[in-house]
Amino acid sequence: MKLKDVISPFYVWKRAFEKPYTNTNPLETRDGSANYRGFHANDIEMCIGCGTCEAVCQNAAIDMVPVEGVDTTMSDSGLRPKIDYGRCCWCALCVDVCTTASLRLTNEYTWFSSDKDEDFRFIPGIDKKSWDDNELGYRRHEGLELLDYKRQAMDHIPFEDSTKSFIEMFHGYSAKQAKLEAERCVDCGLCIAKCPAHMDIPEYIKAIRDGDFELGAKILYATNPMPATCGRICTHLCETVCSIGVQGDPVAIRWLKRYIIDQIEPGDLKDALGEIFPDNGKKVAIIGAGPGGLSAAYYLRQLGYSTTIYEGREAAGGMIRYGVPEYRMPYDQIDKETNYLKECGVEFKFNTYVGRDIQLENLMDDYDAVYFSVGLTIPYGLGIEGEEHPRVLSGLQVLDDATERVEENPNIGKSVAVIGGGNVAMDCCRVSKRYDADVHLYYRRRISEMPADSDEIHESQGEGVVFHTQAIPVRVEPADNPNQVKLVWGEAEMVTPKDGGRPRPVLQEDKIHTDTFDCIIKAIGQEGNYEFFTGEYKEKLETKWGKIIHNEYMQTSIPKLFVGGDIANPQADAISAIADGHLAAKGIDLFLLHPDDKQMKK
Amino acid sequence: MMLEKLKQTFTVTEVKEQKKNLTFFTVPKEQMEMMLITLRDHHDYKHLSFIVGIDMIEDGVFKLTYMLYNYETNHSFGIHCNIDREKAEMDSFHHLWEQVGTYQRELREMLGINFEGSPRLEENLSLDEGWDGPPPMRRDFDTKEYSNNTYFQREGRVNYDPREYMREQLYPTFPKTESDKLLNGGGKK
Repeated sequence: MKLKDVISPFYVWKRAFEKPYTNTNPLETRDGSANYRGFHANDIEMCIGCGTCEAVCQNAAIDMVPVEGVDTTMSDSGLRPKIDYGRCCWCALCVDVCTTASLRLTNEYTWFSSDKDEDFRFIPGIDKKSWDDNELGYRRHEGLELLDYKRQAMDHIPFEDSTKSFIEMFHGYSAKQAKLEAERCVDCGLCIAKCPAHMDIPEYIKAIRDGDFELGAKILYATNPMPATCGRICTHLCETVCSIGVQGDPVAIRWLKRYIIDQIEPGDLKDALGEIFPDNGKKVAIIGAGPGGLSAAYYLRQLGYSTTIYEGREAAGGMIRYGVPEYRMPYDQIDKETNYLKECGVEFKFNTYVGRDIQLENLMDDYDAVYFSVGLTIPYGLGIEGEEHPRVLSGLQVLDDATERVEENPNIGKSVAVIGGGNVAMDCCRVSKRYDADVHLYYRRRISEMPADSDEIHESQGEGVVFHTQAIPVRVEPADNPNQVKLVWGEAEMVTPKDGGRPRPVLQEDKIHTDTFDCIIKAIGQEGNYEFFTGEYKEKLETKWGKIIHNEYMQTSIPKLFVGGDIANPQADAISAIADGHLAAKGIDLFLLHPDDKQMKK
Repeated sequence: MMLEKLKQTFTVTEVKEQKKNLTFFTVPKEQMEMMLITLRDHHDYKHLSFIVGIDMIEDGVFKLTYMLYNYETNHSFGIHCNIDREKAEMDSFHHLWEQVGTYQRELREMLGINFEGSPRLEENLSLDEGWDGPPPMRRDFDTKEYSNNTYFQREGRVNYDPREYMREQLYPTFPKTESDKLLNGGGKK
């Protein structure tokens, strides 16, 4: 052993009485530069918990965690990023990719703790830190965006030509457009909750990126047996919560859905989906071949039920066929979907109107369960004097006539007033334009309050429909020509009620106008027709404000009877009816084959 | 004019006058040394400002750029040279300018380009001792995979998938879709 080895431990002790070289807090530091990448700050109100920061983090430094005071809503997962500063490398990709621009880095880079167990993991914006209000630090540079905010435009027949025929107006995406649009999706999945049918949107968009359309079709059918329909006319609520939509155009989810299913030829669906349907020996009757009925039939077949659909008309589709005009929803697309259901073993009895050709009692006796989804078919009246005039037509009837006899003018003449602000009103306007009529739309409130889709409003205006808003119909008068009718209407002022709430239109008595038309089309809503309920069923069926009361699996007050569609949900759109059908199939299965289940009345 | 003269001896391509005092061009790998010597000794481009490398993975090359500067005319030449990505080797020019050795060390460390004979080439400038991963600035370097394999996760970390969390919170009773099965239990996580 050398002498040095013996002495050196004592040499170290010498230092024990000197001033330490290490500093205690506060450290004397320089401020980080203005663009420094230091600790994160997150605007909790702006953040929607999409988790894109977590997905992009190359060091797996971010966890998405629930936090107190932030609720999960349709447009906010309620989760917030928690950052492990033992792993963060300050690359700021999370800031660059943030869909809301809520996340940024501050220029604070020092952190002091005398607790060796402190875990050095923070939730920016929730765990209060000294740097939270630090304005300096790294933010995304303008113009250097990782996200693509611009939607691929969908080509369509120009407005000057679109009104000349009933040819489908929108062409659908090309392969290149679809791929580019699919690449805009950040795969966050916020949209799934908002979709009434909870379609697995990010996964089918991924199938487009991967070019695997069979897988895409399977994902679509897992929650929706009418993707060709919904790919065209869905109310696309999903797009209202798309995280890309916070700062740019939301991803065109609806058009991407259409793109997938358009890649599968009508006859190829069976091979593409490759489904095998079991048989459990139970049978279910379905009343109405609209989206709600078709959806219930499909998911019941998947569970092994034999299903028969009773439909009063001669073809399937319900309001999709007889209400939505062909330029939005070509009939061959409805046929494509319906034919596949036939291949799945769903039996259709067309021209069989329940209540006339067959009675509800018979179905209740002959089947193990009955599901009905008959839609809203009776138009609301205008509630004004003179509306029984023969030139006042029902919007639904006009649309129906345009389906049944497209080559014939549905008796609307050449000048038309449409009353209403929903999608039926827009359809009536645009159908009338296609019969070469001059069309005026009257709506009580403002355009921003119209229940119609904004696309529909935009396209109606594009096709030359004249909009009269804040216009209240006062009465209908006969015209000199018996084939014409006069609409007396008044201008309205929007008045906010004293107790707050939605502004109401109030008629201005001194601003009354009279216009003459060949017809007036009323399209202000419709209600259900429950005349086929008789006897004890009529007594037992519970309704509220015209809609059927049901439990969460669509079971009505009559245990064996399930309901869905416009008569059962407040949205009254196709996708909600499809979701109802899916839920009811599960409910019927619980009711019939799960005796231990407590959720169903037995 | 100078470029015209150089073109008589060298294969000069892709000439681009970026701005008044900066011109880029490309020469083949084997002509690079002579080009640098010619510019330094006969045209007064005495200063080597820097060398950078870019991984042009789509073209299968590393693009090296040697920036030379002329103090008299205040003009720079950026000389590009593409080298095969699969056989990432380049001649060492440390004998022309002393600082070249340092740039070459960096290019070896970050892109994995070999410069035969360059001094202290194997010594890392910034990566940890014992770094055993591939060169991290290569674009096929998967940072996440490397960090998952190399660094342990701290205990007590829990991560929630937004879509699953929203299902539990907002619509737990809706029939679970078959897509998990379709995707072989795949999905996001």
